Amino acid sequence: MKKSLITFLLTGLLATSINAAEKDHRSMLMKDMRTMLDSMEQIQRGGLYSSPDDMKAGIKKLQGTLTSLEGDDVKWILPKDQKYAYQFAQKTASMLRLYSNDMIASIDAGRMDDALEDYNQLLKQCTSCHIRIRNW
Amino acid sequence: MDRRNFLKVVAASATVMAVSPSLIRGNLYAADGTLYRAYEKTQLIGADGKAILASKLEKEVNYIFNYPYASTPCLLVNLPTPTQSDVELTSESGEKYIWKSGVGKDRTVVAYVAICTHQMTHPTPSDSFIMYVPEKTKTMAYDKSGIIVCSSHMSAFDVHAGAKVLGGAATQPLAAVVLEHAADDTLWAVGILGSDKFQDYFKSFKPELKQFYTGPAEAKKLVSISAKTVKLTEFSKELIQY
Repeated sequence: MKKSLITFLLTGLLATSINAAEKDHRSMLMKDMRTMLDSMEQIQRGGLYSSPDDMKAGIKKLQGTLTSLEGDDVKWILPKDQKYAYQFAQKTASMLRLYSNDMIASIDAGRMDDALEDYNQLLKQCTSCHIRIRNW
Repeated sequence: MDRRNFLKVVAASATVMAVSPSLIRGNLYAADGTLYRAYEKTQLIGADGKAILASKLEKEVNYIFNYPYASTPCLLVNLPTPTQSDVELTSESGEKYIWKSGVGKDRTVVAYVAICTHQMTHPTPSDSFIMYVPEKTKTMAYDKSGIIVCSSHMSAFDVHAGAKVLGGAATQPLAAVVLEHAADDTLWAVGILGSDKFQDYFKSFKPELKQFYTGPAEAKKLVSISAKTVKLTEFSKELIQY
């Protein structure tokens, strides 16, 4: 009886901590997504107001959010029915890094057309992932 | 040239082109069911430099070669059963065209441009989300396998019928590589049939092409003489299939 009670308590404790960890990861993702949205707006504003500094600051902010998507943590933060697709999310994150790095290089070289094309591609990656993961 | 000689020249040219489509150059956007562009006739060869023979291709294995540009990947598959013939397909913009059939002794060898017509997912040296799924392997994209699946947004293409869309987000077939099967069993790519997305691909993946092909100019070079053909497992580090 005592054994069963301990097992029951331990199982409960484990389930609660897993649930809490999942919630932590979820809130981390939501925070990152809000930052991503802010950073995309900042890049766009920089482009429209001809401010390379604003654009670069937005890119840096965006890149700061990619770590959680690039690593294995992404398995925790995806919706349950989409967990299996974590490699797709990782691929999206790697493409966001590639285009954002290219965007910095384009801005530094004064190739604003290329920089804005990179911005289009960043936006496309965001929507592509949302179509898939959030079942648009 | 008199009228009779002129007609002879026209008839001879038509015969030659009917026998060997690789002799046609340029776009053939016609209202008579063709959407075809010829490129340089290119032999498929293995990594060892030896000719790929249709009868020696392993069944249901994904092979990959770049054609007609140095960076545009194409899938080559030897199917377990013969393909359909004279399949009518429709491009996104409504143009109709005819995919003839697979090649080889039993019409089982097919090749398609491995750039998804939805959002241009394609195999890279790092990974591949698009591939042929063998008949005994399950996929979430469609209720049966033996098809090409793009696992990015779950588009499914009928590999036996010119890569017609079976399901998912794609709205037009994959472009097909027109193959010639020579009497000595060798395989040759001669053109692209269907609506390709090559220019969009070059524009959208410029940073990636810089990474893998040193630059856009290298990536846009037309393939000439031969195209190295390897298994997809040798081309991409990781294959992702849902």
